[in-house]
Amino acid sequence: MRLIVIGNGMVGARFVEDLLARDTAGKYEVTVIGEEACEPYNRVLLSEVVAGRYELSSLTLPSPDHPRLTVLRGTSASSIDREDRVVVTIDGSRHRYDQLVIATGAAARIPPLDGLDPTPGRLPRGVHALRSIDDAREIVAATLNSRRAVVLGAGVLGIEAASGLAQRGCTVTLVHPADALMERQLDGSASSVLASAMPDVGITPRVGVGAAAAVVADGRLTGIRLTDGEVVESDLLLVATGTIANTAIARDAGLACERGIVVDDASRTADRRIFAIGDCAQPPSGAMGLVALGWDQARRLADLLTSASLPSRDGGTGSDVVRVKAHGLDVVTMGVCGGARPDAPTQRSLTLSDPATGRHVEVVVEGDRLVGATCIGAGQVAADLVATYTRRTPVPSDPAHLLLSALSPAIVTATSPDALADDAAVCRCNSVTKADITSAHTCGSRTVEEVAQATRATTGCGGCTDEVCALIDWLNERDPAAVRA
Amino acid sequence: MTATHCPYCALQCAQTLTPDPAAGVNVAGRDFPTNRGGLCQKGWTSASVLRAPDRLTTPLVRGVDGELVPTSWDVALDLVALRLREIRSDHGADAVAVFGGGGLTNEKAYQLGKFARIALGTANIDYNGRFCMSSAAAAANRSLGVDRGLPFPLTDLGGAQAVLLLGSNLAETMPPSVAHLSGARAAGGLIVVDPRISATARLTENGGGIHLQPVPGTDLVVLLGLLHVVFSEGLDDPAYIAERTTGVDEAQRLAATWWPARVEQVTGIPETQLRSAAMLLASASPMRGGSGAYVLTGRGVEQSSQGTATVNAAINLSLALGLVGRVGSGYGAVTGQGNGQGGREHGQKSDQLPGYRMIDDPSAREHVAAVWGVDPAVIPGKGKPAVELLDSLGREGGPRALLVHGANVRVSAPNATHVGDRLDALDLLVVCDIVPSETARSADVVLPVLQWAEEEGTMTSLEGRILRRRKAIDPPEGARSELWVWRELAARLDAPGTWDIDAARVFDELARASEGGRADYSGLSHARLDAEPDLFWPCPAVKDGSAHPGTPRLFLDGFPTPDGRARFVAVDDRGPADDVRGEAPSHLVTGRVLQHYQSGAQTRRVEELVAASPGAFVEIHPRLADRHGIAPGDRVQLTSTRGVVTATARVTDAVRPDTVFMPFHWADEANVNRVTNDATDPVSGMPEFKVCAVTVARVGSPVPQANSPFASTTEVPA
Repeated sequence: MRLIVIGNGMVGARFVEDLLARDTAGKYEVTVIGEEACEPYNRVLLSEVVAGRYELSSLTLPSPDHPRLTVLRGTSASSIDREDRVVVTIDGSRHRYDQLVIATGAAARIPPLDGLDPTPGRLPRGVHALRSIDDAREIVAATLNSRRAVVLGAGVLGIEAASGLAQRGCTVTLVHPADALMERQLDGSASSVLASAMPDVGITPRVGVGAAAAVVADGRLTGIRLTDGEVVESDLLLVATGTIANTAIARDAGLACERGIVVDDASRTADRRIFAIGDCAQPPSGAMGLVALGWDQARRLADLLTSASLPSRDGGTGSDVVRVKAHGLDVVTMGVCGGARPDAPTQRSLTLSDPATGRHVEVVVEGDRLVGATCIGAGQVAADLVATYTRRTPVPSDPAHLLLSALSPAIVTATSPDALADDAAVCRCNSVTKADITSAHTCGSRTVEEVAQATRATTGCGGCTDEVCALIDWLNERDPAAVRA
Repeated sequence: MTATHCPYCALQCAQTLTPDPAAGVNVAGRDFPTNRGGLCQKGWTSASVLRAPDRLTTPLVRGVDGELVPTSWDVALDLVALRLREIRSDHGADAVAVFGGGGLTNEKAYQLGKFARIALGTANIDYNGRFCMSSAAAAANRSLGVDRGLPFPLTDLGGAQAVLLLGSNLAETMPPSVAHLSGARAAGGLIVVDPRISATARLTENGGGIHLQPVPGTDLVVLLGLLHVVFSEGLDDPAYIAERTTGVDEAQRLAATWWPARVEQVTGIPETQLRSAAMLLASASPMRGGSGAYVLTGRGVEQSSQGTATVNAAINLSLALGLVGRVGSGYGAVTGQGNGQGGREHGQKSDQLPGYRMIDDPSAREHVAAVWGVDPAVIPGKGKPAVELLDSLGREGGPRALLVHGANVRVSAPNATHVGDRLDALDLLVVCDIVPSETARSADVVLPVLQWAEEEGTMTSLEGRILRRRKAIDPPEGARSELWVWRELAARLDAPGTWDIDAARVFDELARASEGGRADYSGLSHARLDAEPDLFWPCPAVKDGSAHPGTPRLFLDGFPTPDGRARFVAVDDRGPADDVRGEAPSHLVTGRVLQHYQSGAQTRRVEELVAASPGAFVEIHPRLADRHGIAPGDRVQLTSTRGVVTATARVTDAVRPDTVFMPFHWADEANVNRVTNDATDPVSGMPEFKVCAVTVARVGSPVPQANSPFASTTEVPA
């Protein structure tokens, strides 16, 4: 069986790995057609490269290596001939397939803005998207000279990129035309708690204001004019206003495409030999642009192709958890969240809002399951909620408990000997209590050695020696007459 | 006064035994590098088992009425030999199986392997070490070329600035070892990874370090996340990696798929904690001028269907930081059972011959056959590993007879009810034991054997040091050494070879058999060990007759791999075999309490230990307890797809709200192994004791305490 995968990005490469690992019968001969000349890399971490936290070299992902695999790098597919079952590449060569997986990903959407020509390669100097390893490299180079940056779009990527630029030392203005930051994930109150934390990390948020034009002089960006007329001086514009699925090759081949290539729950297009996964696909539940979803699709498709049975939907939940990777900004959302959610009478929503400390936690519960959460500045609580959400473990009988950490170990304060309970273990290794030591003292033990002899306290790990000393001192003080010369 | 070592765990604390007409012997701690004179409560009270009221002192044979009745050794041994011959002639030699233990001395472990292979002629021998050390062993072998739990003396930990402990609760399991962590704690560098706030996790409090409390079954992801941070933040040691390792590229690429936010999603460990932990380790590493860092794994991460992968991930992390094979840093597995180290070196494993040789290696077979005085062709091939072996008992084509030495599988095996059914399906079950353990009570023949204070031998401790066990008192009339039992049976079975009953002579034979193997003891003898208590293997015989000094630290000059380099083994997460889901929404993790050891066959017979820890319990978070209406002290039932266990609730926030904990030292309805999973690791065959999915339910109010819990727990049902 000849299988062709168009796209060698995070999802395409993962799919090939998953498929070959499952194809123990050796059914498939796989050819990957990848546009980028480099090996697959972790796109999720590009904003970390901008932040200076990661070297580009540490983004390289596993590159499937297998006797039944051919990877064509730096070659793009130009068309699909569904009748002859052939993929034609730009060099004119033809690759016949029995099954075809499209994983062409998505491209940055450049907004229609005065002064910006969205044609690839025609952007003015100083204007960048952040989609590829080349983009990241160019942005890092640009920050060497640029001090004032504008980021357009405060979705997850926009916030991460703004944070990254701020960490590079830029003054960053984050322009977002919607009423809430990350409006798909955050409602107004969550957004304002987040916005109030931004100045501390060097970001000035402008929420509810759009960009009207890029001010360009001599082919080089000098500022951004906002819809309210203000001009923000800037020598670097990072555009993070969403993506456009790379559907051209599918559309030209007559496959149904809307925002992405239309597929069913199992990533199948209407052509039974053709599948689409990752950011280029539009499954019934909608695309989120999250790699976890793409990897989930890859795994499920690999299961489907190698076992011929439709894998259960189970295990796929939780891949819609969103965590913003931005220094000093702690944002995690999952499931039901954001201001635009439909009214659901069966759901309970509970909120802890503490704007003064930058904390905002909302949980949405249905029955005994957590179905959504929004966490700003929540620390461990967010991590616990993610674990509860992804594994669908039951929530406490009063879901309000979810709003605070369940895992705060009691701070053990050194208890003074008189406050210690009689049955408190002093020496764990030998199960010796305060009462045991007191009675040894009553029977004449006056030193650590004598107490050890009588009770074995301190004779295990020795960790309780100080405590036993303090206890003996206290007992001696209480009963000075008993201390012999 | 006799200088020996404790009968329990792999720390093998040094003891002095003084005969005492009333108590049998008096026990005192003895100064030694590992325990510094300390003993835990188990060690202090170990002599009580010598005088256990139900100590076995006469062979027992099941009579026609179904009861075990005392008989003479001759009758018992004749019967065993006769039945073994019958089963062998009816069903073939592999129809007789042997199950050994990690508590047997080196001499007994060796002799048992030899007995199985050339007296019984069976391939089917394995041991309970498959339940504890096999994943660590498999991972170390494939990465470092040899498996010695700690490839450095335990005391080396004292100088470290950071110690990462994964799945080890040593404050509970081997308390005197905690002293060796004081340096790391003083530097704020103790990092404990445990889903519970265990006694060991508490050592990180008050500035001692960091406790990472992951979702059960996600340790591998924690390690992949740490490796990711090390590589991405440039905390690795490129010169070390280039000079001393291979395979880094693939491991690094795999780690690139586990960025901290993704790790947090799976493990519940916040990104900031993960990064701090990586930074603590890195700043302690030699490359960054730290005073040293160690990565140590225990059963908590190894008893998993991906245990080998998890240990390899721990080794990968250690290699990336340049720790392994440098004085003052390293990777190690904290061995559990008393002779868990030696027990895995001398031929009890289904695939191994003495000296850590592989049974399918022709030159190994030839060498060992020469020592045994047999044709190499006589030695059987690989047998089934423990879980598979137990599952095959009494089945079509499976073993019809089982000999058990130093194990209580009815309590200690995963999916224990099923294992009990398999034991019941046997035609013949022979158990050698010191007390009527649950397994012994169901045997057809029970043979009474010796305890630690009654015998000579050697034990190899967690650090690969060979220790002398010495006889302090005479055994009770009627109990016999297993060495004697095997000699008697070998004679009755007309077995080839010689069957010494003197431990020193068996050791000499073991030493010859191990010569040239990975665990080479050929330069050792009881006499030499008596004079030198600080010898670590390998300690080969030297041609010119001089004495090899032993090897306290491995890997300083290279790794025993074909190219002399350590291997990064690229591993990825598959998740636990039995993960939480709607109908089983809580994780169950299991572990130990300080007062008890393994299946509790010994410690449940010690009054002081029972008084301090009388019975099984379930640790449950207040939130989960509230959900199920459980109050402290209530009877709680845990149900998995394999079985049900009942115990008393302890409501505590030391466990995660999605997790319950239960210790595994009790039998019957309180035996948590009725619930644990027998899914195994594909590389090591180790079962997934440490995580499974359960439902939690309250079944009743507190049971009034019996007047003397001790009396009731030691009662032997008729």
